[in-house]
Amino acid sequence: MWRLAFRNLFQNKVRLIISVGGVALALLLSLSLDAILEGIQRQVTTYIDQSGADIFVAQAGVRNMHMASSWLPASMVGKVRGVPGVESVTPILYVTNVIEASDNAPYMALNLAYIIGLPPNATAGGPPRIAEGVSIPAKGEAIIDRAVAAKSGVVLGDKIKILGEELTLAGLSESMTTFTGSIAFISKKDFDRIRGETGAVSFILVKVELGESPAEVARRIENQVDKVTAEPRTGFAAQERKVVQDMSTDIVTIMNLIGFVIGLAVMALTVYTATLARRKEYGVLKALGARSAHLYRAVLAQALISVGVGFALSLLITLILSASVPYLGVSLSLQINGASLIRVGGLSIVIAGLSAMLPIKQIAGLDPALVFRGK
Amino acid sequence: MTNATFQVSQVTKRYGVGSTEVTAVRNVSLSVAPGEVVLIMGPSGSGKTTLLLMLGALLKPTTGSIQLNGTVLSALAENRLPDIRLREFGFIFQDFNLLSALTVLENVAIVAELAGLKSRAARQKAAAILTDLGLGERLNFLPEKLSGGEKQRVAIARALVNDPALILADEPTANLDSKIGHEVMRLLRRIAKEQQRSVVIVSHDQRIKDIADRVLWLEDGQFKEVTTMAIDPVCGMSVEQEKAISTEWDGRTFYFCAKGCRDEFMTKPQR
Repeated sequence: MWRLAFRNLFQNKVRLIISVGGVALALLLSLSLDAILEGIQRQVTTYIDQSGADIFVAQAGVRNMHMASSWLPASMVGKVRGVPGVESVTPILYVTNVIEASDNAPYMALNLAYIIGLPPNATAGGPPRIAEGVSIPAKGEAIIDRAVAAKSGVVLGDKIKILGEELTLAGLSESMTTFTGSIAFISKKDFDRIRGETGAVSFILVKVELGESPAEVARRIENQVDKVTAEPRTGFAAQERKVVQDMSTDIVTIMNLIGFVIGLAVMALTVYTATLARRKEYGVLKALGARSAHLYRAVLAQALISVGVGFALSLLITLILSASVPYLGVSLSLQINGASLIRVGGLSIVIAGLSAMLPIKQIAGLDPALVFRGK
Repeated sequence: MTNATFQVSQVTKRYGVGSTEVTAVRNVSLSVAPGEVVLIMGPSGSGKTTLLLMLGALLKPTTGSIQLNGTVLSALAENRLPDIRLREFGFIFQDFNLLSALTVLENVAIVAELAGLKSRAARQKAAAILTDLGLGERLNFLPEKLSGGEKQRVAIARALVNDPALILADEPTANLDSKIGHEVMRLLRRIAKEQQRSVVIVSHDQRIKDIADRVLWLEDGQFKEVTTMAIDPVCGMSVEQEKAISTEWDGRTFYFCAKGCRDEFMTKPQR
C-alpha cells in the first residue's frame, strides 16, 4: 500500500506541489519561529556566557539581567572577595539605555544597548573579543559593537553619546549584538558620575580559585554575605533564557496554532481531493478483495509521505535561512534545536493523521458493487 | 489446476419493501463446472449485474444459496467476504479498471500482495503471468500507454494472480473492437480449459457466443432458455446445438457450423 500511496501522490505533480508546498510553508512558520526564538535565547546570554565570570552575585532575589535591576552596596564587594574559594571579583554597573551615534548628523541614530560600567582592573565582564582599539574603557571612553558602529557610520575616535554623556569611541567589540540591542562598555567611574555617585554596584562577577566548584562557592557566598543571590554562570544564563522564553510563549503558541491550522487545512483538502479523484480505484480494490484497513493505510501513507516531504522541505528552508541570515546584516540568529524538531515533527504527524480521517470515512462508506455499475 | 464447483441454488434478490419492492433476480439456479465457460446474456435491466454481484460475493441474495467448493458464500459474515473475493474469484471489468498510477506489473502484483504474498514473490508471479499473456515487454508501462486489448489482458492477469476457482467477467469486450474482443475471449477460454478454471461472463456481445460452453439468457430476472453449445469436430468452431446442422454417427450426435463441415466429416467419421 505504501507503493500505491507513493505512486498516487507522485502521479499528479501539481497536486503534490500544492500539498507538500502548503504543508512545508505551514511547518516553516513553526520551525523558523522556534529557530528565531532559540537564536534570541542564545544571543541574549552572549554577554553572560562570555563574561569570564564563574558566579554572578546580585541583589537578593535577582537571578538574571534582562528587564531586571540589581543594586548592591559597594561594601558587598569586599565581603564577597573574602569568601573562601573566591579568586577575584569585578563589580559592574548595568543599565538599559541607548547609544547615540551618527557619521554626518551626530546623535541621530539610536541603538538600544545594555550599558556595562567596567572598572579598570576588571578580571571579568569585559568584551570577550576586541576587533579594534582598547579592551577596557578608560575615563571618557566607550566600547561598542563593531556592527553597531558600522551601521551608524562611526569609527574609532568619533564621539558617541551614552547615558546622555559624550564619550570617545575607543574600542570595537565582536559578537556583542542581540536581536533587541547590543552591549556597550564604559568606565565604571563615568557610569558612577553620570548616575550621581550612588556608591552602589549592579552585579559582582566572581572568578573562583582553580579546583573550586562554582556552585559550592556560590552557596558559600549566599551563606556568608547577607541579602545577595549568587548564581553560577550556567544557572544565571538559564534564568536569562527562561525570561525570554516566558515572554515569547504566547507568541510561539499562537504561531504554532496558525501553522497547525494552515497545514491541516492544506493537507485535509489535498488528501480529500486526491482520494475523491481515485474513489473508483479504491472501489475496484475493494471489489477485488482489499479490506478497508488496506485502503486506510494507503490514504494515511499518502498523508504521511506528503507531510514528511513537507517537513523535510521546511527544515531545509530553515537551514538555508539560518545560514544566510547572518549575511543579511540583521541582528538575528536562527538556531534549530532537537526539541523543536521533535515538536514540529509531532505536529506533522498529527496533521497527517487528522487530514486522513475524512477520506478514510469516505472510503469506509464506499460500496465496491458500484464498480460494476460503472460508477 | 482447480477442482472447484460453483453452485447457485434458487437465488432471489429483492430491493425495497412493500409497494416499492422490486425483484431483480428470481429463483435463479446455475451450476458451473471446472473449466466451463458460461455466458449470461440478456437485455438491459434483466438483472445481469445484480446476479453478477451476487455471484461475486459483493451482494447477498434475499433467498437461495451460492456455494463454492462446498462453502456457502451467501451464509458467510460480511467481514469474511473480502478474503473470499481475493482468493477464490478473479474479476474482469468492462472498462478494465486498472490503477492508473501503477505500472502493469504493479497492477497485478498488488492483488497478490493483498492476498499475503511478499512483494518480491508477488512481482515474480505477476511477471510470469503477464509474460505468459504476451505482455512481457509491457511490465513497466503505465496503463495509459497500453491498447484496449493489452489493458484487458492485464486485467485477466490480475484476475488470475491469486489462482481463483472462478473468474467473473462483466462485459469484457464492451470497450474492445470486434477482432481484439474475440482474441481476448479466446484467451480467456484457453485459460479456462488449460487451468480448469470456471468462467462466468455477463455480456451483451453476441459475437462472443462461440467461445462459451453454455449461453444463458436472463430476462426479467429469470433464465428463459438455455442454449447449449457444441464444438464443430471439423473446424473447431463453437456452435449452438439447437441451430446447428447435426448428424448421428456411432450412437453420438455431432454438430456442425455448415453443411460443408458435415460433408467433410462424413467422408471420414472415424477420425
